[in-house]
Amino acid sequence: MNVAVLASRATPPATGTTGEGRRTLQLVLRYGVLIGVGLLMLYPLLWMVGAAFKPNREIFDSIGFWPQSPTLEGFVEGWRTGTEHTFGTYLLNTFEIIVPKVIVTVISSVVVAFGFARFRVPGRRVLFALLIATVLLPKSVLLIPQYLMFRELGWLDTFLPLYVPAAFATEGFFVFMIVQFMRSVPLEMEEAAVIDGCNSLQVLLYVVVPVIMPAIISVALFQFMWSMNDFLQPLIYLSSVEKYPVSLALKLAIDVTEATSWNQVLAMSTIAVLPSIVLFYAAQKYFVEGITVGSVKG
Amino acid sequence: MSGKRTRRRPNRAAAGIALALLPLALLPLALLPLALRAADASYATPPPQPVELRMSWWGGNEVHRAQLAAIRRFERRHPHISVRTEYTGWIGHLERLTTQIAGGTAPDLMQINWNWLVLFARDGRGFHDLESLAGTLDLRQFDARALDMGRVGGRLNALPAGMAARLFYFNATTYAKAGLRVPQSWDELMAAGPLFRERLGPDYYPLDLQFMDVTALARSWYVQRTGRSLIDEQAQRLTARVEDMRDMARLYQRMVDEHVIPGARERAAHGYVAPEEMRPWIDGRYAGTYQWNSAIGKSVEKLAPGQKVVLAPYPLQAGARDAGLLYRPAMMFAINRDSAHPHEAALLLDFILNDPQGVRALGVKRAVPVSRRALQVLAADGLLAGLSWDGVRQVATLPNVVRESGYFEHARVRDGFIDIFEELGYGRIDVAEAGVRLHEDVNRILDRVIH
Repeated sequence: MNVAVLASRATPPATGTTGEGRRTLQLVLRYGVLIGVGLLMLYPLLWMVGAAFKPNREIFDSIGFWPQSPTLEGFVEGWRTGTEHTFGTYLLNTFEIIVPKVIVTVISSVVVAFGFARFRVPGRRVLFALLIATVLLPKSVLLIPQYLMFRELGWLDTFLPLYVPAAFATEGFFVFMIVQFMRSVPLEMEEAAVIDGCNSLQVLLYVVVPVIMPAIISVALFQFMWSMNDFLQPLIYLSSVEKYPVSLALKLAIDVTEATSWNQVLAMSTIAVLPSIVLFYAAQKYFVEGITVGSVKG
Repeated sequence: MSGKRTRRRPNRAAAGIALALLPLALLPLALLPLALRAADASYATPPPQPVELRMSWWGGNEVHRAQLAAIRRFERRHPHISVRTEYTGWIGHLERLTTQIAGGTAPDLMQINWNWLVLFARDGRGFHDLESLAGTLDLRQFDARALDMGRVGGRLNALPAGMAARLFYFNATTYAKAGLRVPQSWDELMAAGPLFRERLGPDYYPLDLQFMDVTALARSWYVQRTGRSLIDEQAQRLTARVEDMRDMARLYQRMVDEHVIPGARERAAHGYVAPEEMRPWIDGRYAGTYQWNSAIGKSVEKLAPGQKVVLAPYPLQAGARDAGLLYRPAMMFAINRDSAHPHEAALLLDFILNDPQGVRALGVKRAVPVSRRALQVLAADGLLAGLSWDGVRQVATLPNVVRESGYFEHARVRDGFIDIFEELGYGRIDVAEAGVRLHEDVNRILDRVIH
């Protein structure tokens, strides 16, 4: 060990320190810029958390995120809401919509994508083009026809219109993403599975799904976050207040003639983003891999 | 290898079709909760002869609480009627109501905005004719003018809960600091600009206007000068000539040049937020607002402590026969024309607007009511006070006969005005061009939206 220390000391000092110094400088610069820009990007989020602990007046008084006279009033009053229900009801409603929606989205998208990627169905190209076309279609165009359809089915004011359509692989973007991902997966493994006696469903379940797990997780995450933030569909389909999800509940307190208690809105927003953040960090590894692999190798 | 593939192709195709159909198989799964819920509902069958009403409104927390309290009192009074409440914030309410009306699923009783009448009741048949329910709904409590605002094609489509007008409210604390009284006339208002700059500094302005407020102010000014409404609904165009519109543009330019209102760039520097949430309003540097008297509360609440806002006399031009107030319902209630229970809905509406219990629950949280009986109740309770009420009293003293078309507040018309004033404000066009554009563009929009 001593020898090693001596040896390292014995290395020519001049070039070593400048090289190391430059490297440290580079590191400091690089991380400095990263941290600086990162903070700048995250500041609104930090500010939201800080503002949740401020009294309402202070929110417009200062741009700093640290509350001068911290209070939990925003959380207490915000949780109580101006309605007959607590904010917990709205959180639960959100999950009652999102959980089935994410599950059926993943299942239907994977199955349909498998069909497009691996089978020569007649008219496949046309069908795929149609599917991609639906991605380009603005959602608001479909609003009233869909509303009428669900009215005929008697599904208004239930959660069904919010997740049943997802069981038919209606999110063309997800199908597209998984198809791209599957194209990058070599066929040989599936052929080997067929030789070993797997039928198509078994190939999908035992061979394809484990390989495309990153893409599946990306789909689930995307759908989770989009559904969490979706405002228009619940607004149109749900009329009873006790069925509102968080996205509607947060805007319940915002009016044009009445001063808004922003600290309550921000406190509840802070609670509402927690699931998304936790989920994202838990699945971050797969998520990043999922979107990059699909796009690069496609 | 390729031989193997060809052989498997038909198989694969069949499997592909089967897989594509698989989502269909998921349907029953997705439907399961519905079945469970239906079973639930059949259990909870209410007692015989019940009526279930649906009522919708928008508002903030205070309105929700007050409205729910009023409905609970109503249900206690009429135990056979239960009211399902469907309320939201302001954002999205129109979109939802539009879908519901298009889909024939609108609630029995709904709160609407005055300018929505031109969207939903163009021919006067959009909502239930409230005059046919006069036995249940006491319309004698409403003066002719208020009723007139809800009448389309001779049918009473909606009933105003409260009326409102844009008035001048000033920060008396800042004015005192400048050694001025709050403006009593157009001239005093204009003169205050340079004095503010001189005595308090360039950050201080006697009045703050968004472009929407500029439009409303310019209209009031025009009506005072001509004694006519700005829009002629029959002719589907402005009553104003191009010179009049140029004068409106010049009025704006003069206010900016003379430091009466902050210019567009100066305002934009404070961010795209509601005027009452802008720092200069909060700390008193923007010392005035041209605000609905029903909504002045939110502006006052935001002020930093120690400041006082007062209502100023409405400025009148010499010889004006009309103040040019945009006096219109702060909000209205309408009954669904396809409602299965119009009488019960009318009962509820009467309770909210006229009954002492209902009136007390709501107080002045929505706006100062127009119903005479409601006013008596609130006066007895000492609730008729404050800036909003000052506004109601001021409106009663002002010459106010010109009735503006609802199309003035149509979203497209309003945006037309705002776009042009904005271009003027940012110096993209000059006053002369703004006058021409205001005349041509707005006329074109009116021609398109009025049918």
